[in-house]
Amino acid sequence: MRLTTAEKAAFKAGFVDMMGPAPGVLAWGLVTGLAMVKMGLGTIPAAVISITSYAGSAQLATLPLVLGGAAWWVIWLTALVINLRFTVYAATLGQLFAEARPWHRVVLGYFNGDVTFLRLLAHMERKPDETHRFAFYWGAVAGNWLAWQIGSLLGIFAATQIPADWALEVAGTLALVAVLAPALRSRPAVLGAAVAGLVSYVARNLPLHLGVMAGLLAGIATAMAAAPRAGREAGA
Amino acid sequence: MTANDWLYMALLVTATALTRSTLVLLGNSLNLPPRVDAALRYAPACALSAILLPQLLTTAQGQLIGWQGSAPFWAAIATTVTMWMGRSMLLAIGCGMAAYWLFRAVGVPV
Repeated sequence: MRLTTAEKAAFKAGFVDMMGPAPGVLAWGLVTGLAMVKMGLGTIPAAVISITSYAGSAQLATLPLVLGGAAWWVIWLTALVINLRFTVYAATLGQLFAEARPWHRVVLGYFNGDVTFLRLLAHMERKPDETHRFAFYWGAVAGNWLAWQIGSLLGIFAATQIPADWALEVAGTLALVAVLAPALRSRPAVLGAAVAGLVSYVARNLPLHLGVMAGLLAGIATAMAAAPRAGREAGA
Repeated sequence: MTANDWLYMALLVTATALTRSTLVLLGNSLNLPPRVDAALRYAPACALSAILLPQLLTTAQGQLIGWQGSAPFWAAIATTVTMWMGRSMLLAIGCGMAAYWLFRAVGVPV
């Protein structure tokens, strides 16, 4: 595929735009890579999984389940649910990239990330008439991917050099806490998360980590019951 | 790579691809009912909490933490408060690790 000069410029603009948050992305990848190996995954599997799945929080959340002998479908559903926020982004991305070919969008899905999504929205606000937003987004996801993978691989291969006493696997748990904390802004989210956590705690001795699923379902039911029913009040 | 590692990789890759690609593919033909939208919105927080709380409320031996808490518990509180103050994720993880080392040093269970 040949790129026009304007498309190349937009790609470069997207890449440069990502260089602002790139050090943070690199460091967050570093923490994830370190934590995966410190939690007990081998160096090579950690590297392969980092590159193929490219899903930081899903990697960190499922690792204790894998090492604790959870059922495969519990691991799978957990990873799926952790990534559900992308379905919320998808409505927006689908509209922005309506003209793109289907296979192109599938490939883009792999590269889709939280930071790049926010950068694209900010860019579209600054430049609502951007005609090369697809090229811009490709530039941004390329920058994000490189920063993440460099950090992650550094962390994975440096992990064995770091004393166990530093307990850096705790940083993996804290990274998930840092993702969860800002989500606890509304009453349904707080109630749902509280019920999910407590049910999961009470059911923690169920085999195959089924307690996580029980907590998840109870939490979602609670959050849905507590969610405002704007549609119905508006007479919809 | 053992068979288990390959299985784990396949699970992560398919779960990630499904959530990220399929719905981008459906794009603007996607119109979620408000209840489903609410479920999607709150599910990730519920999943994270279901994973984290049992870890944070128990000690390494699997006992419920006592009144003095545990080093990871206080670390999580420090990270949460830093995030709520609107600081960066890295600073929040750094504050959490500092709290972990501090509480561990004064003899709080890990």
